Amino acid sequence: MKKTLLVFWQEYKRHVIRKRFILMVLSIPALIAVVMVVAILGVFLTQDKRPVGYVDQAGYLAIKQLPARVEFSPEPELQLIPYENEKAATTALNEGAIQAYYILSPEFTETGEGKLVYIKTWNGNLAFQFNRLLRLNLTDSMPPEIANRLMEGEEFVITSLDQTRQMSEDAWGNLIVPFAAGLLIMVIIMTAGGYLLQAVVEEKENRTIEIIITSVSPNQLMTGKILGDIAVGLTQLLVWFGFLAGGYFLVRGSVEWVGQIEISTEYLVLLVLVVIPTFITVAALMAAIGSITTELREAQQISGYFTLPIMAPYWFSYLIMTSPNGPLALILSYFPLTAPVTLTMRAGFTQIPVWQLTINIAELVLLAALSLWLAGKAFRAGMLNYGKRLSLKEIFTRASA
Amino acid sequence: MQPIIVDHIQKNFVKTRAVDDVSFAVDNAEIFGLLGPNGAGKTTIIRIILDIFKPDKGTVSILDGPMNEAKKDRIGYLPEERGLYQDIPLDRCLSYLAGLKGLSSSETKLRLSKYLERFELTPHRSKKVKELSKGMQQKAQLIATLIHEPEVIIIDEPFSSLDPVNTQMVKDLLDEERHKGRAIVMCTHQMHQVEELCDRIVLIDRGRAMLYGTLEEVRSRYATQDILVNASAPLPHHIPGVDRIEDINTHKKLILKTGITAQSVLKELVQQNIPIEHFEIALPSLDEIFIRVVTEGTAKA
Repeated sequence: MKKTLLVFWQEYKRHVIRKRFILMVLSIPALIAVVMVVAILGVFLTQDKRPVGYVDQAGYLAIKQLPARVEFSPEPELQLIPYENEKAATTALNEGAIQAYYILSPEFTETGEGKLVYIKTWNGNLAFQFNRLLRLNLTDSMPPEIANRLMEGEEFVITSLDQTRQMSEDAWGNLIVPFAAGLLIMVIIMTAGGYLLQAVVEEKENRTIEIIITSVSPNQLMTGKILGDIAVGLTQLLVWFGFLAGGYFLVRGSVEWVGQIEISTEYLVLLVLVVIPTFITVAALMAAIGSITTELREAQQISGYFTLPIMAPYWFSYLIMTSPNGPLALILSYFPLTAPVTLTMRAGFTQIPVWQLTINIAELVLLAALSLWLAGKAFRAGMLNYGKRLSLKEIFTRASA
Repeated sequence: MQPIIVDHIQKNFVKTRAVDDVSFAVDNAEIFGLLGPNGAGKTTIIRIILDIFKPDKGTVSILDGPMNEAKKDRIGYLPEERGLYQDIPLDRCLSYLAGLKGLSSSETKLRLSKYLERFELTPHRSKKVKELSKGMQQKAQLIATLIHEPEVIIIDEPFSSLDPVNTQMVKDLLDEERHKGRAIVMCTHQMHQVEELCDRIVLIDRGRAMLYGTLEEVRSRYATQDILVNASAPLPHHIPGVDRIEDINTHKKLILKTGITAQSVLKELVQQNIPIEHFEIALPSLDEIFIRVVTEGTAKA
């Protein structure tokens, strides 16, 4: 146990206390933050902040004003200047005092026709704010609950007849987040698996392996390495989720769709049940490939044979999203290598029957056990094989040697 | 109890017989030479002793029985294929390897400082292994082999990459280990080192043990009817029973006719009043024996 822990700790330290790892882990959130800041700054700096004029011939806008904005937005807040007539508004527009003006004629309520005059480009967000202000005033005489409903709009829950698929029109963030979380975790599993692959090949390349195997048993070595690999992945996951959670708590009050995000406990449980065996499978297969190959490049090429099917369901995202219980989604769920991504994706769009999940997860656990066994065989057969890559047949014949 | 007993082991790889019916035993407090040309099967034998490979036939007893996990901590191994983690500092690398041999971290710290001092590596302890010279890495590898004070030491080519000063230091170290009672198996191609250090040897060729015994036994077995003589006066051109005389450095090598003994030649020289300073049976060097055994083996094959 002590030696397993030593291998685990060495494996963990070798990857985590490295500039490359720290840079990689921090660079992704930093990059996202920089892109967001640049985008917000870009919007903020290029926006025309001048007021908008209006000629309100029937006094539609005289009753209410827009409430102060609570959500954060890089868009400027609408500032209005009333004008007596169109001539005065035109003069102001030509002089650059305003960026555009509206004309609301007395017949507006009957015809719905108004006029918007601008010189260069018109900001759609200001139009949205102006329309809201107009509706706020037009519904003023109505009962408050009806006025409020008209202002806030409707929210239909779209559901299939058997109730297995259900979504709210507005809460689209709840669909994107599980989808993105699944992707993020898979990327981490692959990256951490890549580290393990590299470590095993390096140990063979620099010939450390011969000393190691005369000090610890293959089982101690493999267990320590795989646990170390999982710990590296979890560290990466924690850092990234830490940033995401920080970002979430920072903006949830000011960005509406972020505030609406809710991740269900069921989804989290599913994620854990899918991620753990997948993590073990990937780590064990990476260790197996590292054992039978002699060069990192060759090992990476071979690892593509199983990393490809793991990520492949993303190619069929549209089909899985639109038909999460369709034949393709089911087939991909039953095939253990494509199951992790498919299941995490489907769970965002449908209620997967428990019996299906049980079978799918049992398959994943079985695959993880099989991969560990294979890794042990491959390691015993290939650990001292410096010259050439072993074939599958040789793994089994040599492992018994 | 002999710490290593190799009993009639055989090992095949696909179509090749790498080891064929090899037996030998290593005693405590001895340096045992495991010799043989490249590809003779030495490394395979070592790997069988260390339980990396299982023999197809025969048995190995190490430290009184088959290998187990606990015994790994009592064995020090310097493989032919050297290897240390290149990207981490030297002391971290050696501490990790010592830890894998069951050494506590406090004991590791203590012993590591002593060894680094002795091997003159203290100023380099915080450097990454890849920044060290080949010779320094070789010394570091020796530290990894010895730091846990193993009872059995198996070292493959311990002198490669070492300069004469460090070679002498390693020789002294091995001698110390022998005096502490350790059983040392040494593989090397450097026959003069074997002659200087080894108590007994086994010579492996094509997977078979060709010679086994003490150095004296082996050399006597290959001794010819030749005599090395050094005299303060010139030797006569004709000595009865002597076929011819050759110059070997400061000595004269007397090649005897068939059936003639060294004693009869000595008697003849004394009778002729030759002032003899040195008289010895010309034992062949280990190098000569090595070449002869291997060449004969090749010719037979």
